Order: sequence, then structure tokens, then C-alpha cells
Amino acid sequence: MPEEISSIFNSFQDYLNSESELREEIRDIVKDIEKSARDILMILQNIHNENTIEENIIVSQYCKKARELFGDVRQHYGKLATVVTPDQYYRFHDQWRFVTQRLCFLASLMIYLEMKILVSKQTVAEILGVQNSREDGFHLDLEDFLMGLLQLSTELCRFAVNSVTNGDYNRPIEISRFVNELNAGFRLLHLKNDMLRKRFDALKYDVKKIEEVVYDLSIRGLKPSVAPAEQEAE
Amino acid sequence: MSQGRNSSGGSRRNHRAYHYNNKNKVNVGDKGKEVLENINENSLVIKQFRAYAAELDSKHDRYERIVKLSRDVTIESKRIIFLLHTLDKESKRDTVLGEAKIRLDAMVKTLFKNIAHELDGQDVYEYLRAYRAGVQEFVEAITFYQYLYDNCLQDWKDLDKSLVYSVVDKSKENEDDQPQTRVICTPVIPYEYILGIADLTGELMRKCINNLASGNISSCYQTCNFVRDMYKGFLGCVGASGKEVNRKLYTLKQNLAKMENVCYTIRVRGSEIPKHMLADVAIVATEEFAAEDDEGYQVY
Repeated sequence: MPEEISSIFNSFQDYLNSESELREEIRDIVKDIEKSARDILMILQNIHNENTIEENIIVSQYCKKARELFGDVRQHYGKLATVVTPDQYYRFHDQWRFVTQRLCFLASLMIYLEMKILVSKQTVAEILGVQNSREDGFHLDLEDFLMGLLQLSTELCRFAVNSVTNGDYNRPIEISRFVNELNAGFRLLHLKNDMLRKRFDALKYDVKKIEEVVYDLSIRGLKPSVAPAEQEAE
Repeated sequence: MSQGRNSSGGSRRNHRAYHYNNKNKVNVGDKGKEVLENINENSLVIKQFRAYAAELDSKHDRYERIVKLSRDVTIESKRIIFLLHTLDKESKRDTVLGEAKIRLDAMVKTLFKNIAHELDGQDVYEYLRAYRAGVQEFVEAITFYQYLYDNCLQDWKDLDKSLVYSVVDKSKENEDDQPQTRVICTPVIPYEYILGIADLTGELMRKCINNLASGNISSCYQTCNFVRDMYKGFLGCVGASGKEVNRKLYTLKQNLAKMENVCYTIRVRGSEIPKHMLADVAIVATEEFAAEDDEGYQVY
């Protein structure tokens, strides 16, 4: 009987050892992804600089650089996909969850700066070099993607404030439109009482802050007479 | 992409709006409300989010269904454990064990099969948190049964095999006259199994004290040795297996200490006190270890 028990525990030890080996392997790859994500974040932080009123600087310099760095990210994710078998994705999901959320945010910010549209999950999956749906292998989790979009709203809120400081009065109005649409989209979701819900609850403060910026511009007559984009929805 | 382009046609209108805004007060929030009301239901963003909502809903629904099943498993497992504790006389053995076996088998055939159906084609680990509590309780019940039946500890590999079902695949039935079968299962993750047998030691401790009360002293020693072996096994995995196992190990250690104290009392004072009083003495001796009851089941 004691042999039986010890054999059970021995095989459990083997199980733990192989798991921790795999975890370490994943950890190393995720570290590389994190490094790339930090680099992209630093590049895109330049949008808040004083001298970036020029639209094309943002797109031509920062977005271009970011797109290059996303190439590295795709490679790392490709490597990760070979280590993690498809049916084990959620077993180790926690290890790359946060960096994936961060990268979703960065990809959506980049797309917004380039084209002023909300990126789709499909596009982000392509930028990260992962699959869009679970059935096809290593994929982008929907909730991670949505968390990324919520981070985007916070960053755009900051961007609206800094744009005004830098004398660009158009941008806050564009951002306000965009974030409101994002907000309307999120209201369609039935969220459980989880992290996503908590993060979504913070979205309204971003919306409010951006509205205050637009309000400040309006009452002082600083709102540009030609407000781009705004008219089209009407 | 169209939102990004400047529309020259809008400039006149906006000019008007600008004066309008100056004349009448603009309130914070007006802008947001206006945009929200103007959102086109057919816009790309809204369409995207409708698809996301559908995906999230189907995931949450499945999760909730599994949680429900898991809760049923937990309740039934607790009842079976309670039933197994009523086994105090050798004469009752066959009826109690027989009934427990029937109920365990019934659970395997119904509840776990339903969970397996829900997990079919899904990533098991995505829904693990929904059913792990049930699995742990089930492991506790079935290993307790196994221990009472033949003093053995059932391996998780055997347990895993017992939760594999082959089902008729309805989707393919039409193409062929022969119904296709497909294998579905409720996997027992080793980690959950280990947590389950950690809970088992609590039951064994109760069993040990009950045995003493009913005068079955030899099985006290036996159970104590069994738990001691398990403790040794746990020590081999400590550290590498995470917080939860470490917490269980703490409880396990207390359980073992209580049982060792009982054995000590039997040895030292067994000859001085009549057997029916011995139980009380031993129990008093163990009471200094504050009983941490995990399920509200009272031994005394």
C-alpha cells in the first residue's frame, strides 16, 4: 500500500516537473514579447510630444517604426505557438495574457493613428501573427482584445488633453466621436462581474474627460469651424 | 475609414452649429449624448461588437452550465461522504458500500457525462475553474469509498479513464447508416486530484476517531499509517505545486497530528481505561488542536 501511494506521488512530481519546464520555456518567449511591447509603447508615446501637430509625422515616423517592431512580435508569437499545443492554450494563458492585452492596445492605437478607425479583432490577430479563432490554433482571446480596446480609450483621453496643449483643436473632437462609438459598442456586451467589467466601468471616466475637453473648446470658441469627421454621422 | 476623411459639405452646417452653441448653453455630456444618439446601428463598430457579444455570451452560458453541473456533483459527493461515515459496524458494510457505489456510478453516468458534453470540442482549461470544485469533491468521495472498500488509493489515471464516454455522433448519422461514435471525456487534471486526496485526509481523520469510538482500534492505527504515507508523498511535492497545495498540506499536517495523538492515547492509556471511555479521552487529547472544519460536518 505505501508503494502505491508513493507511485501516485511520484507521477505527480513528474507531472509538476514537466509543467514547470514548459512554463519556463514559455516565460522566456513571453519576456521577448514583453520587450518588444515596451519598445512599441515607447515609440508611440511620442505622439504626446509638443512638436507632433503634423499628422504625417505621427504616421510616417512612429507608426512605421511600430509596424517594424510588430514584425518581431509576430516572430515571438510564432515561436510561442510551437511550444504551446492548441488544447493547452488556457492552461498557460495567464503567462501571456497581460502582454497580449498590451499589444492589442498598441495595435489598436497604431491603427487609430493611421486610419482613425476602430480595429477589428481579425486585424489585431494578423498584426500579432496569431489566429483569430480558437479552432485554428494559437489564437487571440476575445477578452484580451477587448481589454486592449479599453486601454486605448485611456490613452486617447490623454492624447486629447495633450493635443489641446499643443494647439490641435481638431483632434479632441475626433477622439470624442471615436471613444463614444467605442463606448456604444461596449454597451452591447453582457459582461460578467469580472476584470473586463471592472475595466469597462472605468471607460465612462475617459468619455467624461474627453467631453470636458471638447466642452472647454466649445465655450471658448476654440472649436474649429471645420470639424472633421464629425458631420458624417449626421 | 470614412470617418477619417474631412467632409467639406459639413462645414456650413457646423458653422451654424457653432453659433447655436454660443447662443445656448452647452452642457458637459451633451456632446456625448448627441454622438450616442447618432450612432448608426449598421456602423462597422456596432456590427463588430454584436459579433463579440454573441461570442462572449456563448462562452459565459457554457461556463454557467458547467458551474451548475459542478455544484450538483459537489452536493452529491458530500452526501456520499456522509453516507460512508455511517459505516460503523461490519454488518452494515455491504449495504452502505453498495449504496455508495451505486450513487457514485450514477454520478459518473449522468453529471460527468453532461460536463463531458459541454467540454466537447472546447479547451478544457478554459472551463477548468467552472468544474474543478466538483471534481475535487468527487475525488474525495470516490477515494474515500475506495479506501473503505479495499484500503487502496485510486490513481488519477484510472479515474480519468472512468470518465471517458463514447457517444453517438448525431451530426454524422445521416451520411451513414452506421452511427458514428466519438469519444468525449471529463478530464481529471492531476492537480485537482491531488487537492481532492488532500481533502480525503480530513475524512480519514474523522473516520479514525469514529472507529475509536466504536471500539475498532486496529483500524485506527491502519488509517493513521495510511495518512502518514500520504503526508510523506505531499512533502515530496511541496513548494513546486503552488499555494493551494501548501495550504492543504497545513491542514493535512494538523489532521495527521490529531490521529497520531489518538494512537498515542490508545497505546499509553489503553490498558487503564475501559474501551468505551477511551474514545472520550482521546478526543479530549486532540481537542487542543483547534478543529478546523472545512465543511461544517461535526465529528463529535
